[in-house]
Amino acid sequence: MTSIREEMWKTKGILFNFAITDLKIRYKNSVLGVLWSILEPLLMLAVLFFVFSTMFKSEIEYFPIYLLSGLITYNFFKNGTTIALSSLSNRSALITQIYFPRSIPAISSCFTSSIMLIVELAVLGVFMVYFQFTPSLTILYLIPIYMLAFVFVLGIALGLSVLNVKFKDVEFIWGILLHAGFFLTPIFYQFDMLPEQMQNILQLSPIVQIVEMVHHVTLYGTLPSLNSVLYSVGSVFGVLGVGYFIFRRYQARIVEDM
Amino acid sequence: MSENSISVKNVSKKFRLYHEKRTTLYESITGSINRKPHYETLQVLDNVSFNVKKGESFGIVGRNGSGKTTLLRILSHIYQPDDGSVETNGTVVPVLALGLGFHPELTAITNIYQSSILLGITKNQIAERIDKIIKFADLEKFADTKLKNFSSGMAMRLAFATAVQVDPAVLLLDEVIAVGDLNFQKKCLDVMLDFKKRGKSIVLVSHNPSDVKQLCDRAMFLKDGSIDIIGKPSQVLDSYENYMNSLQE
Repeated sequence: MTSIREEMWKTKGILFNFAITDLKIRYKNSVLGVLWSILEPLLMLAVLFFVFSTMFKSEIEYFPIYLLSGLITYNFFKNGTTIALSSLSNRSALITQIYFPRSIPAISSCFTSSIMLIVELAVLGVFMVYFQFTPSLTILYLIPIYMLAFVFVLGIALGLSVLNVKFKDVEFIWGILLHAGFFLTPIFYQFDMLPEQMQNILQLSPIVQIVEMVHHVTLYGTLPSLNSVLYSVGSVFGVLGVGYFIFRRYQARIVEDM
Repeated sequence: MSENSISVKNVSKKFRLYHEKRTTLYESITGSINRKPHYETLQVLDNVSFNVKKGESFGIVGRNGSGKTTLLRILSHIYQPDDGSVETNGTVVPVLALGLGFHPELTAITNIYQSSILLGITKNQIAERIDKIIKFADLEKFADTKLKNFSSGMAMRLAFATAVQVDPAVLLLDEVIAVGDLNFQKKCLDVMLDFKKRGKSIVLVSHNPSDVKQLCDRAMFLKDGSIDIIGKPSQVLDSYENYMNSLQE
């Protein structure tokens, strides 16, 4: 066990290196390059904003901020898990030729999506200025909330990265789940607009909890309830445990399945 | 104990040969219901034990498929053995037939960085050595070219140059020398001799008898995953050649 930690420490440089190369490869052959990481959420927001402010009128106060804060939180989850999903299978050349801890690609995927999150948060800041929205100090709670989100993404990332080597279907299933998750998470509607039965089920999802917490601290200047915080922390670490268990189970034979 | 840079004890490795590979969930679920064996096991390595001393170079010969590459992968911890143990002393750098894990979409320089960091040296150390690597590999013109545009010889030269500059305690070479042109082969030999002089070990897999004779202090003949003979290179090569001739008849 200690040797695993030593190894991780020795190869810590690679975490950052992978995170950067992920971004580079993501925007390879594109004229605008890394600029896409800003343009992508911006354009996505423009589409959603157009749809929900003209076609379906939204009653939500400060709707652009509501929409954007939810969207970037969900994006963090989506990007991290999607990059992690193919992080091992895309590196088959590397993995069959050099030994390094197999968890590093999954971990670095979470860092890649963290970098994207920071860029998108900056975009959110610009929007706040533009719509003359002054958040209260509770916005600082975004830091622990995103740390919690990071743990959640990491748990799923670890599991998905090894499962996708073994079963190629995981990629498609996960794509559908992410799509469903987008509509089942309060991003362009408010949670209490849903029927109560549905609320009861959906609030079991950690990502719903996290997005709600983000709304609380950025928009309303209130703190989420203690119950929801406790539940989120518990479920997020539960997910990490399951993800790590799956990872441990499959990691040794991964090279042979490549 | 500290005399050996590698000690391998009773290593065995089995592979599964799939008749129909179950890569989808559906297949693995239906497959586990109708319990038909869908694979057979192949004993790739069977109870292999040997030591490589510091400053020694060790040759491995054998037919294709006799387990040489698998053994190198086990030595570099890429595969885990099913049984037995491998102890290594210091960094082990494998240069396997396909390169050093290079990514086709990255340039030569970024690839050098990525692989060397993985092999355990720091960014600053690489920055100091990068010119040497490029120069040794004779790739000055192609330093910023993406790897996908490299020929296999060029990629191999880059891999060897990088591995040497990482300066590991043990260098594992799998059919590396044969890929380069004559000038590069000569450079490789010089580097390897220098390596030995500095007390580092080399494990060399080669199909070229003269390389094994020229470079190796000891050699091993792997026959279908088990050791046929370990000894002086000339002795080992003789029994390898005899075996190969007997197959032809």
